[in-house]
Parts: sequence; C-alpha cells; structure tokens
Amino acid sequence: MSGRGQVSFRNIARTYGNFAALKGVDFDIREGEFFALLGPSGSGKSTTLRILAGLDAPTAGQVLIDGQDVTAVDARDRDIAMVFQSYALYPHMTVAQNIAFPLEMSGHSKAEIGPAVHDAARKVKIEHLLDRKPGQLSGGQQQRVALARAIVRKAKLFLLDEPLSNLDAKLRLETRAELKKLQRALGVTAVYVTHDQEEAMTLADRMAVFMGGEIQQIGTPAEVFAKPNSIDIAGFIGNPPMNLIPARYVDGDVTIGGHRLKTDSTLTGERDVVVGLRPGALRAASDGVPARVDLIEDLGDTAILDLDCAGTLLRMRVSDIEIPNEGDTIKVTARPQDVHLFDPATKARL
Amino acid sequence: MTTTDIASAPVGGGYDRLLARRERRFASALLAPAFVALTATTTFPLLYLVWTSAHRVDLAMPFTNGYVGLENYAVLLADDRFWSSLLVSLVYTGSTVVLQVVIGLALALLVMDMKRGQGWFRLIAILPVVLSPAVVGMIWRTFMLAPEFGIIDFLAINAGLGSQNWLGEPKLAMLSVIAIHTWQWTPFAFMVLLASLASLPDDIYEAARLDRASAWQRFYRITLPLLRPAIVMVIIMRTMVALTAFAAIFTVTAGGPGTATEILNLYAYRKSFTELSFGYGSALAVALLIVTVLISGVLFALRRAK
Amino acid sequence: MTGKRLRIIAVMAVSLIFLLAWAFPILWSVLNSLKTDQDVLAYPPKLLFAPTLDAYRDVLFGSSSILPNLVSSMIISVGTTIITMVMAVPAAYALARLRFRGKKAAGFYVLVTQMLPPVGIIIPYFMILRNIGWIDTYQGIILIYLSFSLPFAIWLLVSYFEDIPFEMEEAAYLDGASRMKTLWRIIIPQVRGGIAVTVVFVFLNAWNEFLFAVVLSGNTVRPVTVAMFNFVSVEQTLWTKLAAVSVLAMLPVIILGVVAQKHIVKGLTVGAVKGGGRR
Repeated sequence: MSGRGQVSFRNIARTYGNFAALKGVDFDIREGEFFALLGPSGSGKSTTLRILAGLDAPTAGQVLIDGQDVTAVDARDRDIAMVFQSYALYPHMTVAQNIAFPLEMSGHSKAEIGPAVHDAARKVKIEHLLDRKPGQLSGGQQQRVALARAIVRKAKLFLLDEPLSNLDAKLRLETRAELKKLQRALGVTAVYVTHDQEEAMTLADRMAVFMGGEIQQIGTPAEVFAKPNSIDIAGFIGNPPMNLIPARYVDGDVTIGGHRLKTDSTLTGERDVVVGLRPGALRAASDGVPARVDLIEDLGDTAILDLDCAGTLLRMRVSDIEIPNEGDTIKVTARPQDVHLFDPATKARL
Repeated sequence: MTTTDIASAPVGGGYDRLLARRERRFASALLAPAFVALTATTTFPLLYLVWTSAHRVDLAMPFTNGYVGLENYAVLLADDRFWSSLLVSLVYTGSTVVLQVVIGLALALLVMDMKRGQGWFRLIAILPVVLSPAVVGMIWRTFMLAPEFGIIDFLAINAGLGSQNWLGEPKLAMLSVIAIHTWQWTPFAFMVLLASLASLPDDIYEAARLDRASAWQRFYRITLPLLRPAIVMVIIMRTMVALTAFAAIFTVTAGGPGTATEILNLYAYRKSFTELSFGYGSALAVALLIVTVLISGVLFALRRAK
Repeated sequence: MTGKRLRIIAVMAVSLIFLLAWAFPILWSVLNSLKTDQDVLAYPPKLLFAPTLDAYRDVLFGSSSILPNLVSSMIISVGTTIITMVMAVPAAYALARLRFRGKKAAGFYVLVTQMLPPVGIIIPYFMILRNIGWIDTYQGIILIYLSFSLPFAIWLLVSYFEDIPFEMEEAAYLDGASRMKTLWRIIIPQVRGGIAVTVVFVFLNAWNEFLFAVVLSGNTVRPVTVAMFNFVSVEQTLWTKLAAVSVLAMLPVIILGVVAQKHIVKGLTVGAVKGGGRR
C-alpha cells in the first residue's frame, strides 16, 4: 500500500437530506493509472470525485490515499491537483500568476517558482501567453492554463472534472490525445470524470461505470464494452447503444421475430431474456432474420440502419460498400459470441 | 458507532457533518461582527422602544416617570392628532407613490422609443435621487417656493394666479410637500422601469406586431404584464420610504402650518424631541411600525398574487 | 408625415420640460450661489449677471464658516463607510457563498432590520446615548448609521459575490490556500468593482442622512445637512450663502452619482426584491 497516488474508496456513502447520492461505493485506483469515472449526470461520479478531492465529505465510509485515511483531511492538505470543467482560472491574475499560485501557497520561494512555472507552461505549450489575463484567452488556451496550474505542483493525484466538455469537437479530440500523453509523461495517477463514454473509452486504463449512486461495473474499457454486466450498462456504453430486445430463450437459442439465433450460452431450460446485440455486431447473412430497412443515417464512412424486424426496432452499423436502399428487406444475423443475454427482472448479465 | 460523538470523528461516518460544522464555524466568524452591530443598532433599540412605550418618560418632568402599561396606547387611540397624522401619512404616501409610478412609467415608455437623447435622461435623472432630501427640501422651500422670490411663485404670478403662500396655507403646503417628494423620486421609478423595459425581449413585440396587435394592445397586453414585477417593486420600495419620510417634510414645513403636513413619522419625532415626551413618542413610533408592517404585508401579498 | 412630425415635436417638448424640471432646482441653486446679495433679490429673477464667488468665500472662511461642518460630514461618512465595509464584506461573503443551517434566517434578519422606521430607532437610541454621554460624538452617530448602511452594504455585496462561480474557491482550496487566504487573494479581488460601488453608495447615504444627524448632533459634531439651517431663520434668509452651502453639500454626491451612473439602478434597488430601501 505504498507509492504515489494510490486511492481506495471504502464503502463511501453520501446523503443530502433524504437523497442518497452515493450508496456505498467501494473500489481502488492503482498508482499511475488513468482512471475514468463514467456515468450519466446525477449518477454519483462527480460526488465521488469531490469526496476524493476533499471538497465534499462522505456520510459514511473512508477515503485512503497511499494507505492513509484522509477522510477528515482538508482539501488543501491532500496534495491533489484538479482541473475543473469551467477551468476556474483566477481572472484577476495573469497566466503566470495563476500557475504560480499553488506553489506560492505551499511556501515555495520566488527562485523556485519562476522556473517551475515556465516548465509547466512549456509542457502544455503556452509559454507565449504567460503575461496575459485569462479573459484574453480562447477556451482551448484557458484549458491549457488550467492544466499547467494542475501539473506545476507535481501533486500525488490529478483530478479532471469533465475538462474537455467546454471545447469544440475538433479541439476536444486533439486535447484528448495530448492529455493522455501528458499523463503518461508525468507518470501521475489521474482520475477523470466524464459523461462521455467515448472519452472514457479512449483515455482510461480502467473505468468505473456509475449509475444511480452505485458502481455498476469496473474494468478496462475493452472489458466493459465486450461484457457489459447489466442492461443499463449495455444501453449506456457504445454509440449507437446496444440493441436490447425481449426474447424467449430455449437451450442456447433465442427467438427473435420468429427466427432462431444461436448464442454461446450453456444455460439449459426455457426462460424470458433480454437479448443484447451491438449495432456493429450485426451482419448480413442469407440464413438471417428478415428485416425491412426503414431509415438510413449515412455517416460517410459508415451508415446506421434502422431495421424493422417483425415490429422490433434494430439498429445496425454497416460500412459504405454494403449500404442497401430504404424499403429493402435484408437478412441479418450475429455470431453466437456477440449475442448478450440479460435477465429482464434483475437486469443482470446471464 | 451509532451514538458516538461526531466531534471525535468516528471511524466510518459523519465526516459530512464534520465538514458542515467547519463551514458553519467559519460562517459564524465572518458574520459575527456585522450581526452584533446590527443587533445593537436595530434589534436592541426596537426592544427598548417597546419597553419605553409602556412607560411615562418625560424629560421635562422626570418626576412623573414610571410604568404605565398600555396607557400611552389608550391615549393614542383617542388622540385626534394621531389620527390626522396617520391620514396625512396615507395621503402623502399614496399620492406620491402613484404619481411617481405613473409619471415614471410614462416617461420610461417615451424615452424607450427615443433614438437620441436617452443619455441626457439617464444623466439628469440621477441628480435628484442622489441628493439629500434635507438639501432638496431646503432648496425648494427657499429658491423655488418662497413667496415672490421663488421661481414657482414667480411663474404663478406671471400666469395670473397671483403670489401664493405655498407653504403657509394648509392645502397648498400639502400639495407642495407631495410635489417635492414626487420631484425627487420620480427619476428613481423612471430609471428602474426604463432598465426593466430595456431588458424585455424584442422578439415578443415583433411577434405581437405580426399578430396585428395595436400599440395600445401591445402596451396593455404585453408591456404592462411583463413590467408588473418591476412596478410592484417600485411601489413597495417607495411606499416604505414615503411612510418614513422625514427630512423632506421637516426641512420644508416642519409639519406645518399647524399639523397640516405632519405625517405620523414626524409626529412621533415632535412628541419625543420637541415635547420631550418619549414614552408617548415611542408609542407613536410603535404605531408607525405596525402600520408599516401591515402595509408591507398587503404589498407583498399583492406581489405574490399571480 | 405632418402627424409624425407633430408627434416628434411633442415628444421633444415633453422631454425638455422634464429634463428642465429635474435639472432646474439644482442649476438655480448654483446660479444663486454665484450672485451678489443684490442680484439674488432682483425681481424678475436674473438669469444673466456678473458671477462672484463672494458667497463661497463667506461660507467657507467667514465668521460662520461651514468648513467644520463639511469636515464633520466627511468624518462621519468616511468613518461609516470604513466600518461598514469591514463588517459587511465578510458577512456578505458568508451569506452568498457558504452553506450552513440558518443562512436563510440570517439573510432575512438583515432584510427586516432594514425595514424598521428610523424614528423608531432614534427615540430609544437617543435615550441610550444620553445616558452614556455619546450625544454630539462621532462614535454615537457612526454607530447608528450602521443600522442602515450595514444591511444595505451586505445585500449589495451579496449580489456581487453570488456572481463568482463556486469552483473558484474550490480551485483555491485545492491549490493549498486557506479559507481566509482564498477570501483575501481570490474572491475579494474579483469583487473589487462591487466593493467600489458599495463604498460609493454607503458614503452617499451617510452624507445625505438627516434625521439621526439632527437628533444626535451638537456643537462638536454637526454635519452640513444640519448646519445649513443656520442660514434660514424667521427674521431673514441669507440667500446667496444658503445657495453656496447647498451646492457644497450637493457637490460630492452628484460627483459620486455621475461616476457610479451605470450602477445606480442596482444600488437603489438592492434588497428590494425582498425588502425595502432607505431614505
């Protein structure tokens, strides 16, 4: 339990009056890891981050950083740096003063602060902006200042609260890549809150998916994508999300629209299930389920088809060479290993 | 773990309350000086006022001082001067507030459509409202209203009305103090309503125009309802101030001639500081407080309605 | 076309009348203050005359100089402003930004105190000060001025503090700043503008106050609003001197008012959403 930037949440709960924002969250973040807290708004991911930062405190449970209980430690004594969604730059200070502020607060001398500020600014490529005020900067530049202010102190932990959500789409993609490189280069543990599953998928080494104040699943992005462990996660991860179809299961097969589909499940017997099929896992096959093409959303390199399969809506991703016409009837199927099964009552993966 | 004192930070719980308590302690420290000062200068005097109102406190005849219970209030209810001052208060407040709002709104609508000259209005309107009512009262009493010397009287003479004793004749004196108050504070209503008019979205008017609403309909059906909160706010603020106006009357007529312009506020002052009858003066001030509370209660209810 | 032109002329005429009506009493005081004692009494009133500063010289440096009264007004107003700000800034910050139980009640208390009729405060206050010998003292007047300047300043400042995002403080805490340091280094610099506006209005209200001043002043402490009465008596009015004193009393607040022009509506309506103003 030693090292720099290892975090443990022990049964963290937080209630506001009668509202339970967190209902017992229990997980670890490893040293040097890029860890994403993913979930829709109100799922508890931000509360978790704020509790880690010390900006909020749990009603029950403990937070450990590098093995030490910091639950009652003030935010300013936790040695944590954070990038806020709004950047929270101090508008009355220059960029240089903004970046210097955390060092100044921890009592560094002027001689140490100057080079450190330049070093941090160089890492995020804003050396030429040091004399400006935040109000004179573009959104992307402000974001870099916020990053510089966070990395200048070489804190144990680096928290990011939706740092890219105020950037335009193109800049967001660029910054995303740089963020990852920066974190690798610094070797610091990063905890990243986002509601954007694509961001989490691309950035995170591991992620925790929050829903309704609880963690639904923890794992690498690939694991969560490949084996979502509940209907809710299946519907949340992936774009467009997984098709979820109520169906009848009999000894390894499911029946959809009167047609049988093989699964790799070894469960025996007969029961109601919810079948999950990723749009990208559907493929055309002569022995597949017939479906009418209702609508085509052409995305350029790929297209999303809305299929009417005996009254059930299915969405399918196809590459541009295979695009049919609206009104056509095509036959679709999926490989057994791509057919996910969920319990309709408990919503859990079968 | 269930009944442990949270101050000792029990394992596994209560840190949110610890954090809340830190916050509360910091807040208390920041608020304490202001709250001590406020309590000392408002709440404590208020309690002392109520206590005094149940006593006979006469600085001219201190030997008669003592507890009298509700006697001051009994006297008050039978006091014609109290009722007449209350009436003067209500007339003064009602008329000045109505005049301010009506003139202020009319001017705001007029100026809103002006393409040039808005700046002049915004500048000139500031002048009266930043002045001390005492100075304003003094200027009006002398340079504006003094018989033969004042400009108003000069204008009256030239209009064939003849020189008038503006502040010496009861009805004219009342008119004068109402006019002075209206002069000073209409710019306030004007500025607030103009700001509020300027914040109304243009597209509503364009839509109304497309719906073929006439100018009058646009005013009555759109502008007025949208301005309602601002108008009610102005009414509430101005009512509170007019009820407790002091300098604006004191410096002009001092309540006279006789008691023609003596509002309740002024009566309480005169009873206390001129006649040195502090017990009865306190009872009058309490009565004024009750009237203020009642009227503001009505106005706030009016604001909440709809 | 003629109807439209007529309308424009009517609008201009009405505008001019109102502009004149508001400006004239002030302008007229200025003109009268520049007249000689003969010119001021001329009938019909003179608009054109040879201006003189005699009246100002008399009221400032003559036998009954109001210079001490101007100084009195200044001491009272500056003192009130400083003490008010020192107390109001932290209080407003707490009310605007901190989360604690009883906050609503605290804010409401501040509002309600603002609604008390001043005469209801001055009667008991006078008796208290009389007992402790604080009549005709600066501390007596400044203390009671807090009764209206504090609620006003607190509510005006709250509106400025509320404009700052919460994340600003949180960022500062995480940067290692203590609460006081955050307030002093991060928050207060961002409400400098609001503090300046508040200072202007607190000063203005203190300078203009009359009721408390007339009751509590004496030979030592007598602000100019009270002292100007010396120039009007039953026997005679010292017209030019009165005009000069009026102008001197108006000058600071008019300058402040024009400087704070853009903020005047906010300053005049503060707390109005929930409570009342003063004066």
